[in-house]
Amino acid sequence: MELLETINLQKTVQNGDTQENILKGIQLSFQKGKITALIGASGSGKSTFLTILAGLQSVSSGEVLLEGNSLVAMSAEQLRKLRAKEFGYVFQYAHLVPFLTVEEQLHLMLDIAASPLSKQERKQEVHDVLGMIDMLHRQHAYPSILSGGEKQRVAIARAVIHKPKLLFADEPTASLDSKRSMDIMELILKLTKKNDITTLMVTHDEDMLRYADRVIKMNDGKITEDRTV
Amino acid sequence: MNLAWKEMKKSKLRFSILASIVFLISLLTFIIAGLANGLADDNASLIKKLPDGTFYLADDADQTYNLSAIDKRKENDILAETGDAAAFSVQMGFVFDKDEKQQSVAFVTSTNSDYFEQVDPGEVVLDVSLKEEGVEIGDELTNQFNEKLTVAGFADHQKFSHAPVAFLNKADYQAIYGTDKQQMILVPDEDAKDIAGLDAVSKDELLQSLASYKAEQMTLDMIVWFLIIISGMLFAIFFYMMNVQKIGMYGILKAMGLKTAVLLRMIWTEMLLLSGSAIILAAACAMIFGTAAPDGMPFALDSIMLIWLALIFLVVGFIGSTVSAIQIKKVEPLQAIQQGDV
Repeated sequence: MELLETINLQKTVQNGDTQENILKGIQLSFQKGKITALIGASGSGKSTFLTILAGLQSVSSGEVLLEGNSLVAMSAEQLRKLRAKEFGYVFQYAHLVPFLTVEEQLHLMLDIAASPLSKQERKQEVHDVLGMIDMLHRQHAYPSILSGGEKQRVAIARAVIHKPKLLFADEPTASLDSKRSMDIMELILKLTKKNDITTLMVTHDEDMLRYADRVIKMNDGKITEDRTV
Repeated sequence: MNLAWKEMKKSKLRFSILASIVFLISLLTFIIAGLANGLADDNASLIKKLPDGTFYLADDADQTYNLSAIDKRKENDILAETGDAAAFSVQMGFVFDKDEKQQSVAFVTSTNSDYFEQVDPGEVVLDVSLKEEGVEIGDELTNQFNEKLTVAGFADHQKFSHAPVAFLNKADYQAIYGTDKQQMILVPDEDAKDIAGLDAVSKDELLQSLASYKAEQMTLDMIVWFLIIISGMLFAIFFYMMNVQKIGMYGILKAMGLKTAVLLRMIWTEMLLLSGSAIILAAACAMIFGTAAPDGMPFALDSIMLIWLALIFLVVGFIGSTVSAIQIKKVEPLQAIQQGDV
């Protein structure tokens, strides 16, 4: 069974008097542990597609199945639980909680995901993940004093510390320079492969495609290219 | 994780500013309420200190105590029927002290009763405020008809119409005002029966019928309630402004799967900690103000009134913060993500 599957996915929005078809019958499936890059021009529908898969937006018609379970049929509370336990998110900006230290950001995510780890195990897990992202020396720092790259590293650690099934990354390197972008992608690769996390990533940056197992190109709400790298 | 406490610890300045505003408004309200209560005491502590019950006035007086003159037969009937009833009269007047200084007083006389000071003929018992004016026990005062009255003692906090009360013997009162009829009869029973020819009013109704008392209290009560309403609006506005700035963060946390209830709990905890500490501090300062206020300032803030006002403030704060909590409930994670970094 595929981890994630979409069946004839359609998204229509009302724009004034006209109806706009953002997604026009997307039919895709995603395998466990792979990194898929979604590319395409602005307005092609890739971010809408990503946020629908991430349970952040409803569909107009069609189906999204996670391990055979329909996201479309889920209640808001079921979707919230799914997002907390099974999904991780990285956005263009880190969106860290400004009043929490680096280690508290990770503890918060474990709280949200209702992690079964004991207090001591949580401490150890946070310590290990901070070590992996080379941020142990900044564990007590607040986001306001971190650089853009450091913030994004913490955001990635936060997105995977609860070992989700899926990581959704919407242009995670867009606000970073090329050197830092490479570092961030290396980190995503390292963390997701270690925990067998399936990653869906929207990007505009051609250089980032080298980290993907699969590249899907979208244009005007349709899939125009789907290739394995 | 206690998000409220962590945020307050990190954003000390922002929360301190908000707390200081709540503190100042609460303190101002407590002080105005204390002054209102103090003025009420100053205006009518003689009546306020009497037990709750039914006050009878002659019905042709139209509930104006100084126009009331109760028929002697009716007075005797009521006093005979109700053992602890008391008939009494109040008239404004003045006395000259030993230094020939004129002192305004409210002359009060009553039938034999524990509710009023009982005075021998030729003597007077004064409110303690006149002691502060230099009057002493044994001093000889002169009333407006040049009759001598010897000060036999002082009564604690007995005022009427902002003047100290001077308790007189019935005979002396009769000599001054030329009547043996009493103005009012108090029966310490709120459900006392109606009596033909007499108006029955409660203690509150009697207080409200006193000239100036109602107008004075209404004005002060209005100021207190305005302050409560203004503070409620300020609470709502400040919490709203603060939370609007954090909408993006709330959206991201909701996207990550944080329960809305956790965010609401965070806001309410912040409100409770912030306003609770500010109100307790303001209450303490108001109490200190009460003890340090000059003797001439009528200030009376009792703990029950303080607790009520504090509770009202907490409820108002809760409503104010809930207005912004509604915003949080409405926030869409996707909208927050698209807004950019927080």
